[in-house]
Amino acid sequence: MTELTPANRRFLAFDLDDTEREQFGLNGHTIEQLSDYLDRDRMPADPSIDDSPECEIALRGLERLRRAQRLLLKLDLERESRRDDSWVSAILDNITLEAHAGRDIPLTHPVPTARLVVTEGAVRGILRESGDRMQNVLVGRCVLVGDVNVPGTPIVIEVDVTVFPGENIPLLADQLRQAMYAALGKYTELVVAAIDITVSDLQALPDASAQEKEH
Amino acid sequence: MTTVIPSTDQLDALVRQVPGVDALYPARSIVATVLSTALDAVAHHAPAAPLVHTVAQSDGVRVTAKIGIGAAESSADVSGRVHDAIAEHLRQVGNPTVAQIAVIVARIG
Repeated sequence: MTELTPANRRFLAFDLDDTEREQFGLNGHTIEQLSDYLDRDRMPADPSIDDSPECEIALRGLERLRRAQRLLLKLDLERESRRDDSWVSAILDNITLEAHAGRDIPLTHPVPTARLVVTEGAVRGILRESGDRMQNVLVGRCVLVGDVNVPGTPIVIEVDVTVFPGENIPLLADQLRQAMYAALGKYTELVVAAIDITVSDLQALPDASAQEKEH
Repeated sequence: MTTVIPSTDQLDALVRQVPGVDALYPARSIVATVLSTALDAVAHHAPAAPLVHTVAQSDGVRVTAKIGIGAAESSADVSGRVHDAIAEHLRQVGNPTVAQIAVIVARIG
């Protein structure tokens, strides 16, 4: 179960192409197959998906991404001619990569024969959810940097986010950081030295005057 | 060589009942599960698909449970309760030596 993957590498030490890597992390499925499964409202039930925590984490990420896309449609941003949707692909890629169980993060217990852990994938999933729950922000990439499997070792969380219109970014970053600290404190015993947040995509409202000129 | 302990199905039910546990996943790797299922098929055994994995080794019993937990509770609390419930069960069914009880929190919320 334990994987000694360097923190800043994704998860595999051997060479696989993207599809194989994706399937390895998602119990033999691709993100497209999971997306189709959501389209079918998870019917008929597929135990190889339903019984996989990695698939469940990815499915939840997909659902949140879809909600954000619907919000954009509502704002009519989809009609903006210069719009670049590469951010959606980037988030999809990260959902796939980060759903993988990754390293084991230890939890303490007084009995010496106890080995309690929370997976890196579960922690990334809850950090992503902490961000996605906030209005007008979607977490793109979330990396735990440092020896998470060595108790007491300070680690750093690196997060990339996409921000939608109407937000004060410094305030948003503070709120996101607080939400993530709270989640890390509740679900892990990690010593977190810093949570570094990078706004990697800023989705601006279409320029009204430019639209008028187009018409 | 390891031996599979027959009380695994009881452990599945036991773990599911622990407060805060909202999912129980197969504890063995996909590869191990596929191999085991294939071997069962070749040997004409009824396929056993326990989620909590239990084996007896020379140093004692080793149990692994992989769980999902609700967002309301902490990982340490729920995994600790699962550990304690398994330990108590093993004591009651007469497995005196526990080499390891592993609880993996694989999904939160």
